[in-house]
Amino acid sequence: MDLQKMMDLPGALAAFTYSDKGDLQSHVLREGTELTPQVLDLLAHSCVANQAIASMEARGWEALTGQSGFQPLKGFSMVGLEWSVVVDGNCGVVVKNRDADYEATFNALQAA
Amino acid sequence: MHIVKQLMAIPGVVAAGEYAYRGDRFSYEGALTDEFARMASILCRANTLSVNMQSEIFDSFAENIGCRPVQGWIVRGSQITICAVGNYFAFIENRDELLNDVMTIMRAKVGDVQDDLLVNLYARLGGDTKEALY
Repeated sequence: MDLQKMMDLPGALAAFTYSDKGDLQSHVLREGTELTPQVLDLLAHSCVANQAIASMEARGWEALTGQSGFQPLKGFSMVGLEWSVVVDGNCGVVVKNRDADYEATFNALQAA
Repeated sequence: MHIVKQLMAIPGVVAAGEYAYRGDRFSYEGALTDEFARMASILCRANTLSVNMQSEIFDSFAENIGCRPVQGWIVRGSQITICAVGNYFAFIENRDELLNDVMTIMRAKVGDVQDDLLVNLYARLGGDTKEALY
């Protein structure tokens, strides 16, 4: 995982990887950002939880409605007031909302 | 133009809707049945409250880091993506540039979600918000 490459995404403030349990493993922070490794660790834990919940919902939705196209999930994003965290698998990127390119970020995470 | 109608005018948007408070008051357009739209509304409300709860935890670790109040979330499926901003949701196909366009429109049209999410969601129904909530 090349976190420096992830930092080239539009509006990237931080890039990080985490374990299956959500423990922060590696990270890069943009100089001047108010994000801290502690916040990234918390974000990583929430992202693991959110991806698990979204997978459960996708599975249930497909079973109940007969619609397809949700599974397997390709990522999750939480959109905050000023920044969004975009995650897929065991890697995440925090991007400024103003400059965010969600599609490019999801694609980059999927390719990583 | 109403946000839902504006979203539905974009090629690749499968369905869009608006929900309030419990998720059991909703309106929608597109490829959903009434029952599916009800389920989608409840699902979106549950996820929205969940990420808001998480953002409050982040805030207790580091105040004013730009997370609160949460504006929405995105679930990227293999072919379909669900976007939720405020009390609006959209099911969209995974087409080039569609996600960015939809998020830009939703963020611009819904505006910044205010701090008290439950009050914000409930206010859409009208009536005495405080009395109903507390």
